[in-house]
Amino acid sequence: MLIKDVMNSPVLTVDVLVTLEAAYHIMLQRNIRHIPVTYEGRLAGMITDRDIRLVTSPFAAGGAKPIDTPVGEVMARPVVTGDPLDPVEEAARVMRQRKIGALPILDGDVLVGIVTGIDLLDALLRLTGVQRPSGRLEVCLDDRPGELARLSGELARHNINIHSMLTYPCGEATVTTVVRIGTLDVRKLAHDLRQQGYDVRWPPQIPSKSL
Amino acid sequence: MSVPVVYSPQYKLYNFGPQHPFSPVRLEMLLDLLEQLGHPPQFVEPTQATREDVRSVHLESFVRRVEAAGRGEYSPDFDHYGIGTADTPIFLGMDEAARWLVGGTLTAARMISSGQAREVLQLGGGLHHAQKDLASGFCVYNDLSVAIRHLADQGLRVAYLDIDVHHGDGVQWIHYDEPNVLTFSIHESGRYLYPGTGHTHEIGKAEGTGRKLNIPLEPFTEDESYLEVLQMGLEPALHWFRPDVMVIQCGADPHYLDPLAEILLTTRAYAKIFPLLRQYVAEFSGGKAVYTLGGGYSLDASSRIWAMLYLTLQGLPWPDHLPEPWLRHWGTQLGHLLTHTLLDPEGCYPEIPRKPEIERRNRQVAQRMLESVRPYWN
Repeated sequence: MLIKDVMNSPVLTVDVLVTLEAAYHIMLQRNIRHIPVTYEGRLAGMITDRDIRLVTSPFAAGGAKPIDTPVGEVMARPVVTGDPLDPVEEAARVMRQRKIGALPILDGDVLVGIVTGIDLLDALLRLTGVQRPSGRLEVCLDDRPGELARLSGELARHNINIHSMLTYPCGEATVTTVVRIGTLDVRKLAHDLRQQGYDVRWPPQIPSKSL
Repeated sequence: MSVPVVYSPQYKLYNFGPQHPFSPVRLEMLLDLLEQLGHPPQFVEPTQATREDVRSVHLESFVRRVEAAGRGEYSPDFDHYGIGTADTPIFLGMDEAARWLVGGTLTAARMISSGQAREVLQLGGGLHHAQKDLASGFCVYNDLSVAIRHLADQGLRVAYLDIDVHHGDGVQWIHYDEPNVLTFSIHESGRYLYPGTGHTHEIGKAEGTGRKLNIPLEPFTEDESYLEVLQMGLEPALHWFRPDVMVIQCGADPHYLDPLAEILLTTRAYAKIFPLLRQYVAEFSGGKAVYTLGGGYSLDASSRIWAMLYLTLQGLPWPDHLPEPWLRHWGTQLGHLLTHTLLDPEGCYPEIPRKPEIERRNRQVAQRMLESVRPYWN
């Protein structure tokens, strides 16, 4: 999943000469919290609703600024940016490290999109969510080449489609694999897999339940 | 007054093969049990649903593919429609067979809308996973939605209740934006069980918002907790919605013996659930309801649970002990001993260590569900 798949495009921008008041109203109207600021059409900085509230308040260092101050005087710069072809986790890592809520996306020096924290939540939902009716199978695999292929081969042999798959390390030499699969009858499959020595974590084995 | 029972031997045509869990043997065992208990049902013969009936909820492109598959034809896009998968494999005549089940539930609904009957038991159907363009989870056509569509078209407010262990996703999505259809599904959480949906945040959209209700249960939920949250969620919903008629899918797979899920109901719970539902029907929907079967993959449990449903609806007494010839015959057929009594014995499964936490979490889920829909109830 790439940044271009999750970013908002086209982007709403304001010029450096726009007043804080005008920029704040745009944010309220559009229900957004970040606006890239441009100078002669190029990305020059970022302004957030929080920046505007702070600099116009009594808490501002050096006293409150008037609301007709141009955003260019207040915006954050230089701007941290991303590339549309970067993977989405790259955007997440940068935003997490720099503690920023939005990342303008530049193709060369053209502003083509913006990614926000909410977009990353949407991406997480797409990666882990349930797009088609499916059952859940969780298997703990040895962390070595071919294990995942062996498991997916089993699913193919049962004519069971894989809708999504998530793997992450668990412990020293094993990998938890959560597979959403197109069947209601996961326990029968789990039984077959256990007989072949797989460490199936879900569905659990329940002695009272006959097959 | 006895409750009419809709059934046709044609239902048994809906058969995915001997290895498949959705087996017509369930019906044979049930009918044999009712007969041997001395209460054989008088059947109302259903009318097979027409193509047009099916089209009232399913897309033309989907129906055309089910028909083609049932004729033995092949198309590379069958998979996309959920046809020919591990769960809904293709069999000859699948369109006709599925239309018999739809016809049964629709016949039951028509008996109610025409004033012929108040409550009707359909001994089949309950194919709640089928979506408008997707066969899924053993379900080809959605008989429940076709019946609900008929009732709603007559101007009736319909409350759909789904006690199958799996989320009633097909019915929910088909009527997701409809204001006159309330859906209520109580099931093992989609976090663990097929189809993966049925969370408390699924509450409907547009005009239907606040009218699609879900109680996803923790795995290993037991009798008391199930009954507690069922009442907690359902009673206020029915009290507010005031349906004209209910459609109730009585899947028997939340039973502790069921091989496909992790909920641990005993038949002692059903001894309370069915009378409770009847009481709700009398109190909140003018005494009108269609009851259907549904999932249920432990033959031992399903035949007893549905016998209890039948006996409850007919106001017949429950036997203490099941007939010996029935136990012997079906025990031999299935190759294992069957439970001897309608009510499961005490302590029939090992104690669950997380019980208090499971109860607490279920209660919290029911509360969360009510909190998210109540703002739309006015």
